Amino acid sequence: MSGLVRVYADYRGPVADRCDVVVVGSGPCGAVAAYELAAAGRDVVLLEEGPPFTPEDFELDGARSMARTMREGGLRFTTGYVMPTMQAIALGGGSLVNSAICGRCPEFRFAEWAEAASLERTTRRDLDPHYDAIAEFLGIAPTPDEVQGRRNLLFRDGCKALGWDCEPCARNVVGCRGSGECFTGCRARAKQSMDISYVPAAIRAGARVYTSVQVQRVCASGRRATGVEGRVVAPFTGAPGPSVRIEARAVVLAAGVLATPLLLRRSGDLANGSGQVGENLQFHPGTSVMGVFPDPVEPVFGATQGYQSLHFLREGFKLETLWAPPGVLAVRLPGSGLAFKQNLLDMRRAAVWDCIASCRRSFGRVRERGRSLQPAIRWHFHPEDARTLGRAVWALAQIFFAAGAERILPGVAGLPDELHSLEEARVLEQRPPRAADLVVASTHVFGTTRMHGDPRKGVVDEDCRAHDLDNLYIVDTGVFPGSPAVNPMFTGMALARRAALALAGRL
Amino acid sequence: MGSRSAPLEARLRRDGLWGAGRRPLCSAAVIPTALALLAASLLVWACARVLAGYGPRDPGLVQLSAREAAFFAAAADAAFPPGGGLPSGSEAGVVAHLDGWLALLPARNRLLIRLLVLFFEHATLLFPAPGRGGRRRFTRLSPAQRGALLEDWGRSRLRLRRIVFASLRTLLTSSYFASPAVLRGVGLAPLAIETPVVEADLLWPPVGRGREAIRWTRADLERPVPRTPLDPHGPLHPAYAGERR
Repeated sequence: MSGLVRVYADYRGPVADRCDVVVVGSGPCGAVAAYELAAAGRDVVLLEEGPPFTPEDFELDGARSMARTMREGGLRFTTGYVMPTMQAIALGGGSLVNSAICGRCPEFRFAEWAEAASLERTTRRDLDPHYDAIAEFLGIAPTPDEVQGRRNLLFRDGCKALGWDCEPCARNVVGCRGSGECFTGCRARAKQSMDISYVPAAIRAGARVYTSVQVQRVCASGRRATGVEGRVVAPFTGAPGPSVRIEARAVVLAAGVLATPLLLRRSGDLANGSGQVGENLQFHPGTSVMGVFPDPVEPVFGATQGYQSLHFLREGFKLETLWAPPGVLAVRLPGSGLAFKQNLLDMRRAAVWDCIASCRRSFGRVRERGRSLQPAIRWHFHPEDARTLGRAVWALAQIFFAAGAERILPGVAGLPDELHSLEEARVLEQRPPRAADLVVASTHVFGTTRMHGDPRKGVVDEDCRAHDLDNLYIVDTGVFPGSPAVNPMFTGMALARRAALALAGRL
Repeated sequence: MGSRSAPLEARLRRDGLWGAGRRPLCSAAVIPTALALLAASLLVWACARVLAGYGPRDPGLVQLSAREAAFFAAAADAAFPPGGGLPSGSEAGVVAHLDGWLALLPARNRLLIRLLVLFFEHATLLFPAPGRGGRRRFTRLSPAQRGALLEDWGRSRLRLRRIVFASLRTLLTSSYFASPAVLRGVGLAPLAIETPVVEADLLWPPVGRGREAIRWTRADLERPVPRTPLDPHGPLHPAYAGERR
């Protein structure tokens, strides 16, 4: 190893460093950018607010895991329409605790972006070389059948019976054993999260990684960013420690869709000539349905999210399988008392599948919450988008019954707790749920520092360089001009790689 | 003095109660006095409702007060009553788990949860439980009333009420499932996995510890570990081992 990594216990006093590029945030986008810049011979410092986790630190208990790996203890939510949303705080960012789905943004969506945001060279063809390079680096491949487990294969069977397209999810996983523990940290070390893939590679290429460092300000002079300032913060408690100052020839922000805008606003409303910083917030709200089968499904075994259907992508939703810590899934089961307990006992015969909607009419914004670096997130769920999600729930119901489920638990307010046949489930089609009837959550988020060809309408250009500063780049999914229709991580990484190569060429 | 008080004054004079220097009684003084008495009574009643009648605090708890612990214990046993082939909320150790989990949260979130508890405990004033005494605080309701009340919240037509209920149920359910006995009971206990050592494990120690806590060397990278798919009926994670359903 030629670079270095510092953890909280290493800090003895103020930290000062100088480099070619400082990258803020070690999630999928920041890690890719740091690696590509270091591999190109640039002197790179990578800063991460969270600590690095080892398998010893993983918690199988869902509540404790979320409290340790997620911002605000995993209890962050939007106002306007109240919806839980989760962002990780760890070396590797969300990749440590996501399900590793790597989907390429479809060509039609790139075309829509190009038209809406006046983009000229952000097409699927432009990004495919970057997707390919990342796929090769991480070993991204379709989930093999032998680790799907019955709950994923039933989804496949249901889709096939209906004649709907479906496919095994491509994931950044090598040697999956089917533990279904992606959301609490992969004990099998099969998931190629950034902390065990791109970050060590960046260190090998010479990058210096400082963990437990919270960046509080981007320093700038005229049209140039000059570095960042912040503090060492203790893991989990966030207790402030020594100051940190990194001087750099270029600054790359990958702090996340909800943090990057706040950092810019705290830095004198940097890069906000367009007034778009913190605006255009979009989510992929999702909801899940449980289906109970006559025979044991043994859902404890199988890839966390092994199968998906892109059949309805153009209609605005994606269908996929899901597993999570059982205590998290059980929250949505109906009933109380002994009836609730019976539903818990039935989980062994159950599969859970979910849907996410593109929600192109639902917008929000992010602002500072008081003086803190935590965001105040306001978002509205457009009724038409809620209807789209309702159609997705109906589609899931059809797959369940086509796969042989004896009943489904739709989890929609105002409907029966259980629907026992396709005929009964038609109520989902006939009475599409309203936004208020759905229980939704989202981890996919974009748009708050959007890319736009016109500097008056967006924050960054097609290389992810800020319109207002010559050497400030933003490479998290906040640059998406809109929903990518599928899981955003892979497209964020591809854009980050392209931006990093462009920046490396300019230094 | 208004004309309405004149007969009263005459009566007081007749009865010898109208003394020199005494201020006359009048409606303008009675109303504020009555209001003050009412406010004081309400305050006493509210204090008694909010503070009185809880048992002593469990010394093993760090975060939860006696009132909060009593609430969570009552709510956990309403959500997960004894019977039904699974442990009750009390048997699963829901309160102790919640206490430990609260310690991991930022102060703001802890405060929000305390407010949730306070609200739910006394929300029977707005949304009473069925049966006699349905407006008593949650912990004073009968077990049947508690169960019916939770059911009522979960099925409310008001989304805000359902959100409050979902928040409470999230806390209870995730803590209930922290119990190995529960996970074994529902057949969802995690399986044993031998964790391989990867390059990153040589780079940093477990969270919060110094570099001396890195216990792996490059030789450990070569240690062979199984890479085959897990067997759903195979051995359980050691922390969850026990009799399976």
